[in-house]
Amino acid sequence: MFKKFSQWLDSLEDKNEGVENLPSEERRRFLKMGLTITGVFAGGTLLSLVSKVDDVFGSIGGYSERYPYKPHYAMVLRVDRCIDCERCMEACRRTNHVPEYGWRTKILERHIPLGEGEWYREFMPILCNHCNNPPCVRACPTQATYKDSRTGIVRMDYRKCIGCKTCMVACPYDMRYFNEEKRAVDKCDFCWESRLSKGKKLTACAEACPAGVRIFGDLSDPESEVFQMVHSETRVVWVLRPETGARPNVFYTKG
Amino acid sequence: MKRYFIFLLAVFLGCLLIHPPTWSQDEEDYPQEPIIFTKPVKAVIFDHKVHVEDNGLSCDSCHDDPFEMEAGSTQEKPDFNMKALYDGQYCGACHDGDTAFASNTQCARCHIGVLGMKRILGIKEEVHH
Repeated sequence: MFKKFSQWLDSLEDKNEGVENLPSEERRRFLKMGLTITGVFAGGTLLSLVSKVDDVFGSIGGYSERYPYKPHYAMVLRVDRCIDCERCMEACRRTNHVPEYGWRTKILERHIPLGEGEWYREFMPILCNHCNNPPCVRACPTQATYKDSRTGIVRMDYRKCIGCKTCMVACPYDMRYFNEEKRAVDKCDFCWESRLSKGKKLTACAEACPAGVRIFGDLSDPESEVFQMVHSETRVVWVLRPETGARPNVFYTKG
Repeated sequence: MKRYFIFLLAVFLGCLLIHPPTWSQDEEDYPQEPIIFTKPVKAVIFDHKVHVEDNGLSCDSCHDDPFEMEAGSTQEKPDFNMKALYDGQYCGACHDGDTAFASNTQCARCHIGVLGMKRILGIKEEVHH
């Protein structure tokens, strides 16, 4: 009987949640903190300084032993190396024809206080986190956005998109915009359409980064750099907004 | 004709009074505005004020070696990059971890990025939703 109950619970997870459970209040607070407006982000809720990887993985048993996708694309961002030269953004715009008003990736900046009148600068690139439990996919009424069952990439079927923008509200990372030319919401697809599906190994942003910030690869491959960084016992790795339970595949670290 | 010439001369001298040319500046003067390098990456700040006032450097500490006097001329050199700095050239002459913090640390201290550059130049980011 319990088994049946748990199956029923599992089946609920995959179902479309509709629009009533959107964390819009939370998102507004997120925006108020200035994320999209000034590109500055605040500490605390956005950035957790302790490693959350195990917590995030722990939310479904055995996740860290077996990855659901093959290849399981992921990115590790070495934030302290970022210098906001924005070559990644330029490469992304060129490669994926992102218009001036849109974005598939952004760089945030914050000033971390060191003491009396002193601070240091830190840049933080953000992009679609290709969550394992993506709030945008659950919110989409037409299944125009979906989790690719092979690669785990959160993709768009532009023909199905009705432009309701519900996914834009649902995304905890503000990584979706409405593309006027496509008449659909557009987002990062880890360069699947423009590069990976054509045999290239890296995203445009990872290739363009002169500072080695963006490490891209297959998290299900123990030989890959992303796997080794995420599973390093001495390295502190965290994800953004782990409290949403979205289980991101974009990780942050330093050094 | 002569009167016209005198008038022009008066205007010219008047202009000099209002806006003295750079060659009349005191030798100890240095650019008050920070220099922003945009090559090979956007954007790196150099502030004379910090180096002269806070750290007591004189002009000949850096001019003409490792930096020529003309502001921003260094970024036109093809070897002006981090590797050269690590080899002790340009900023790396002092930023070696000994005289000043090493070039391969505290990246965002000098790299103010596109965001920092826009802020200094007063360019407001347009907000789209």
